[in-house]
Amino acid sequence: MSHKGLQGGHYRPLSCEQVESLHAAALSVLEKTGFSYEAGLDETLEMMEEFGMRVDREDSRIYFPREQLMELVSKAPKRVVLYSRDGKNDLYLEDDRVYLGTGGAAIKILDLETGEARHTTLQDLYNLGRLVDQLDNIHFFLRPCIPKDIPEALYDENVFYACLKSTAKHVMAGVNDFDGFHKMMDIASMVAGDLENLKARPFVSVIASFAISPMRLCTHSTRIMLEAVRHQIPVALSCAPMAGVSSPITMAGTLVQTHAEQLAGIAICQMIQPGAAVLYGGIPGRANLWNLGYQGGSVECGMMNAAIHQLADHIKVPNYNSSGLTDAKIPDAQAGWEKAMTTMLAAMGGSNYVHHAAGMLNCMITVAHEQFVIDDEIIGLSCKVLAGIPTDPEHLALDVIDDAARGADFIKS
Amino acid sequence: MSDFVQIAENLAAGNKPRVRELVQLALDQGESAKKILDEGLMKGMGIVGGMMEREEIMIPEVLDVAQFMSHVINEMLKPLLLEGDMNPYGKVVFATVQGDVHDIGKNLVIMMLEGAGFQVIDLGIDVPPETIVESIRENQPNMLGLSALLTTTMPMIKTTIDHVIDSGLRDQIKILVGGAPVDQEFADEVGADGYAPDASSATQLAKSLAN
Repeated sequence: MSHKGLQGGHYRPLSCEQVESLHAAALSVLEKTGFSYEAGLDETLEMMEEFGMRVDREDSRIYFPREQLMELVSKAPKRVVLYSRDGKNDLYLEDDRVYLGTGGAAIKILDLETGEARHTTLQDLYNLGRLVDQLDNIHFFLRPCIPKDIPEALYDENVFYACLKSTAKHVMAGVNDFDGFHKMMDIASMVAGDLENLKARPFVSVIASFAISPMRLCTHSTRIMLEAVRHQIPVALSCAPMAGVSSPITMAGTLVQTHAEQLAGIAICQMIQPGAAVLYGGIPGRANLWNLGYQGGSVECGMMNAAIHQLADHIKVPNYNSSGLTDAKIPDAQAGWEKAMTTMLAAMGGSNYVHHAAGMLNCMITVAHEQFVIDDEIIGLSCKVLAGIPTDPEHLALDVIDDAARGADFIKS
Repeated sequence: MSDFVQIAENLAAGNKPRVRELVQLALDQGESAKKILDEGLMKGMGIVGGMMEREEIMIPEVLDVAQFMSHVINEMLKPLLLEGDMNPYGKVVFATVQGDVHDIGKNLVIMMLEGAGFQVIDLGIDVPPETIVESIRENQPNMLGLSALLTTTMPMIKTTIDHVIDSGLRDQIKILVGGAPVDQEFADEVGADGYAPDASSATQLAKSLAN
């Protein structure tokens, strides 16, 4: 049986006081340091000024006064529902309810016949969707790989088509541009019957990596993020600083910066459409300081991803983050323990929408069919922990103890 | 006769005051600035590169040594160096390709190349193919370095190389590619001259291609 949507929150690395102090620190960063921005965001800057943000065009910097900022942030819904196509795997993202699934944009797959890493194809994406559709513990399908066998300009429509065709679970992906977003909308509307049906029960959603850490607005992704908001498609506001290179080496510093980036992104979305369905997408990561690789399997990543949920919960916005990453290149012992550790911590932390949790290897470069199956088990067991230990009379089993102590046995009873 | 090995080894060990003393001593003994640079400091950076490759030294320490070396060059040697002494291996134009804003790895490679004696023209992030071609025309480098971190922006490396070919400049330059998702197979596919998995081997590769 699948334990999806259970309440986590058993593991809280930050005390209430620490949550308050990190939140206050993030507000102060937004007031004093603010965001820099890339060219091409003139309209967005004007809108931000109308909502009380201070834009210094000479220095290309936006400052966020805390009252106006939090007023906007408070408009974001505390619950976001990401629907499945068949209604069997709807995701009610709120509080400490936990769902885990796939993620990434891998370009290699361990070939089923040879075991060698080779380029991923559109057929692989479809096959993985079919596999995930059958794996009960994987709660959603965020496209885990890129179709390297078709031209880049055709990625968006083909990715969404392959995903929607292969599974009825919720589908999420990034889009390359405006055009890709609208092609996705066309396909999803067709599947839904019409656009209104799609907006009423969005079974697709998008990711927008709107921030370049540290504290910089990316024009391209910000525009995609706001386009999704305008069209009432839920959007995950991804930002993924690596402690040591794009955020401070300390966990606290990385959490403050990530939280500040998220507060800004959420506020901007709410300017376009108050009540817009957004996911707090802070993914605190860590650099391997021997080579600057992404050390997603470190225990600190597990700890920080639990802590970031506490910060998202503090402002009452459901969160999107990661677990199950590893730099192991094949499904080996290292992959096993790094995944089990970070996925268990994410689940116990109460993160709402945990992607990357199945299938990933080799710092997000590679996926493997067998890894999805192994990770389905890891997710299932991590969620089982959340179910806790029932202690009602039946589970106390006093009669069974009594009978056995009087000569019956446990195996037959 | 000055002890260049001492300079190199002390630099690699991060003994900053000792390096300054030894460089000053060598200058006092009448050694040329170029020789101190080539046989002392750059050899030292070479040792650091090897340590980095073997994961015996962490990246922040590498950066610290490189920054220190550039201080020593600027403060103690530069006035004594001739045009060309600093960059025996020539010029490299570097860019993170269009659509990609990640530059930490690229910057690390640039720093190592500068430490090894290349002149680097860094065009930054999200650089359109046209800008790269223009810079090649203007600066006449002997090498081009292209980087991408995202699996979704990797194809832009090929687009950029194709643009260089179309502009008729391909034969003048060697092209190096890198970035987390890039590998030798990809480098071969897109028609690059070389690929390196990390900053230290990128330096070795660049040197071998320069010769």
